[in-house]
Amino acid sequence: MTDVAAIPVLDLTTASSGALLRRRIMAHRGLLIGTGLLTLIILVALLAPLLAPHDPYAQDLSRRMIPPIWYEKGNWAHLLGTDNLGRDYLSRVLYGAQISLLIGVSVMVISGLIGTALGLAAGFFGGRVDMIVTFFITVRLALPLILVALAVVATVGGSLWVVILVLGLLKWDRFAVVMRAATQQVRVLDYVAAAEAAGASTLRVIVGEVLPNLLPQLVVVATVEAASAILLEAALSFLGLGVQPPLPSWGLMIAEAKTYMFFSFWLIAIPGTALAVLVFAVNMVGDGIRDVSAPGGRG
Amino acid sequence: MSRFSTGVLTAAVAAMVAVAPALADKKTNSIRFAYDQVVENVDPYMNNVRIGVIIGQQVWDTLIYRDPKTSEYKGQLATAWKWLDDKTLELDLRKGVKFHNGAEFTADDVVYTLNFVVSPDSKVVTRQNVAWIDRAEKIDAYKVRIICKEPFPAAIEYLAGPVVIHPHEYYAKVGPQGMNEKPVGSGPYRISEHSVGKFVRMERNPDYFKDSPKPQPKIEKVEIRFIPDRQTQVAEMMAGGADMIMNVALDQATQMKAVPTLQVVSGETMRIAFLHLDTREATTAPPLRDLKVRQAIMHAIDRESMVKQIVGQGARVLNTLCFPPQFGCSDEGAPRYSYDPAKAKALLAEAGFKDGFDIDLYAYRERNQTEAMIGYLRAVGIRANLRFMQYAAMREANRAGKAAMLHQTWGSFSVNDVSASTPVYYKFGPDDVSRDPEVRDFLQRGDSQVDPAVRKEAYRKALALIAERAYSLPLYSLTTYYVANKDLAFIAYPDEIPRFWEMSYK
Repeated sequence: MTDVAAIPVLDLTTASSGALLRRRIMAHRGLLIGTGLLTLIILVALLAPLLAPHDPYAQDLSRRMIPPIWYEKGNWAHLLGTDNLGRDYLSRVLYGAQISLLIGVSVMVISGLIGTALGLAAGFFGGRVDMIVTFFITVRLALPLILVALAVVATVGGSLWVVILVLGLLKWDRFAVVMRAATQQVRVLDYVAAAEAAGASTLRVIVGEVLPNLLPQLVVVATVEAASAILLEAALSFLGLGVQPPLPSWGLMIAEAKTYMFFSFWLIAIPGTALAVLVFAVNMVGDGIRDVSAPGGRG
Repeated sequence: MSRFSTGVLTAAVAAMVAVAPALADKKTNSIRFAYDQVVENVDPYMNNVRIGVIIGQQVWDTLIYRDPKTSEYKGQLATAWKWLDDKTLELDLRKGVKFHNGAEFTADDVVYTLNFVVSPDSKVVTRQNVAWIDRAEKIDAYKVRIICKEPFPAAIEYLAGPVVIHPHEYYAKVGPQGMNEKPVGSGPYRISEHSVGKFVRMERNPDYFKDSPKPQPKIEKVEIRFIPDRQTQVAEMMAGGADMIMNVALDQATQMKAVPTLQVVSGETMRIAFLHLDTREATTAPPLRDLKVRQAIMHAIDRESMVKQIVGQGARVLNTLCFPPQFGCSDEGAPRYSYDPAKAKALLAEAGFKDGFDIDLYAYRERNQTEAMIGYLRAVGIRANLRFMQYAAMREANRAGKAAMLHQTWGSFSVNDVSASTPVYYKFGPDDVSRDPEVRDFLQRGDSQVDPAVRKEAYRKALALIAERAYSLPLYSLTTYYVANKDLAFIAYPDEIPRFWEMSYK
């Protein structure tokens, strides 16, 4: 994504490595925009209770379907209007950020832990361990993610934590694949051999020597997976099997607004835009980190 | 509507009209009807969904017919009937009626069908519809007697409603399953193709008997398509891909009035909505066992506002579990649960649920109404979570004791008598999840006595008891909105049965 030509040639003799990194970051517009947007959304999510003008669950049937402020019939009390039950749309969108972020982060952590552990073990030990892990990865890759998620959620019933668990337990494959390949490369490097020769324990070698050198790859996979988890939750909720009402999930809001698509366009456009912006921001951050940390991005 | 959304709407309609070929089915004299719920089995005895009743009335005939305009009973497959005593009804049958497969209609068909459906192995879905029959006897080829288990004054109403007659040889051979795959009846339409879960295609029965109280059908072909997604139905209507849909939500109906190619027709229906609560010992929601909790639920929901804002014109708030015009329906002596969230909270606190509790609320239609109720319940501390599913799945979960709180609706099979509504849920049938013997006894009395005054009094007591003990929360009667091609002439009856045989294009 980055425009390599735009990055100025750096004077390597005078800059420290920290300053160098900082300069690369500052020169990467995508990363800056992504970080800005993501920070904004995180702030919105954290401060939702302070920012939201109304309780996102408070319904008032006599004030339903008020259009946003830029329509003739808009109302200053409800900047983004109200939904079909008279709940303030702005408040619901703000609280919805909490749910999307919670899902993105939790799924990323769960699947990241599983995938990284498996990938590290396979790449580091090789041989039989590698065979077993590769087998698991193959099995997992053969499962159609959304179908399995739908089936599981349909059997045990949808709720926020079920969705997080199901997605977390299903989405570790990319972590495992990437970590395995990257570990195999790092494993044979001299500093690993040096640590082993110095008598460091296996655990210490993995955690102290191998893992830190895989962080850039890990971060990139993590952001991609977080964005994809957010979208998957929206898809599940849209199909009625994800987060259950009345939680203000963006996917759910889109699903419920679907009925009003032809006539009250804003109901679907507002959460849709919010979701698109969040996924865009997370992806920009991931791309940016890859660019500034990968050798190709080093001017 | 703002100028912007009118613009979007116009653009959407224009785009759709542009892509959809001119399918206006005035030309081919056919109706394409879309419905959201799928029928499990089109054999009218083997389902209890509305679309099943609708198909049943097109494809099959009943012994007696109730004129929906005058409520007068007319002979259909029977020409005359009389009570020989309290329990014995004798009917003269019509000659010269043919089933769709060519078989002649005779007393054997009546006797076989009735004796089959009353036998326990027949697994009729709504037993209430036939449980009053003890047996049917053939007197001669065109005369039968129906013997009731106990005096059952509402018999005529049932014979004019859900009790259809199947061709005996065919039904004996293929059973309900075969009836679903290749249905055969004697009604004004015959099914030419049934693709289970997808569509039912019907065509005019050219040999439909001339003396039937159902007039000869004018529309050549009717296609009923199952489209679970409401928005797709709306899109189909706007694009001219369907000619009629029903049960459209108030909001969409109001908005679709602006579309020039469509007409919107509304009316109150016999269908009542209620919150059905499992109060048995093994219930999955133990708080519901407490009367105070149930009363709290009743006080928590603002039914007046719901009727006014999201149910629609013509609907009314109910105090008892029946449709007011039904014989025996009364709310005399039943407590009134006003909207009073403070009282609801106080009742919950008294019951020991100061911090509320979590519960799943199951629903299958009018999702926006369910969500409004969830909003009201949460406001008093009852954290209800929505479980939305197909009707059959919800019904089975409830019968199996897995679903404790349901947003139920009941259309009484269009039978204008309380025996078709309240007893289904409170007479120890499979849908009775309260099992109160006192209520059952009153209902039993109402169902089986001959004197109308005695019946009314018994039903009144049962209904008042159910309300007092808050076994279920009667919500409101429902309004149905039909959206149809503006050239289609039809009448919206309160029994929610579109009568395709009466319809025609202007």
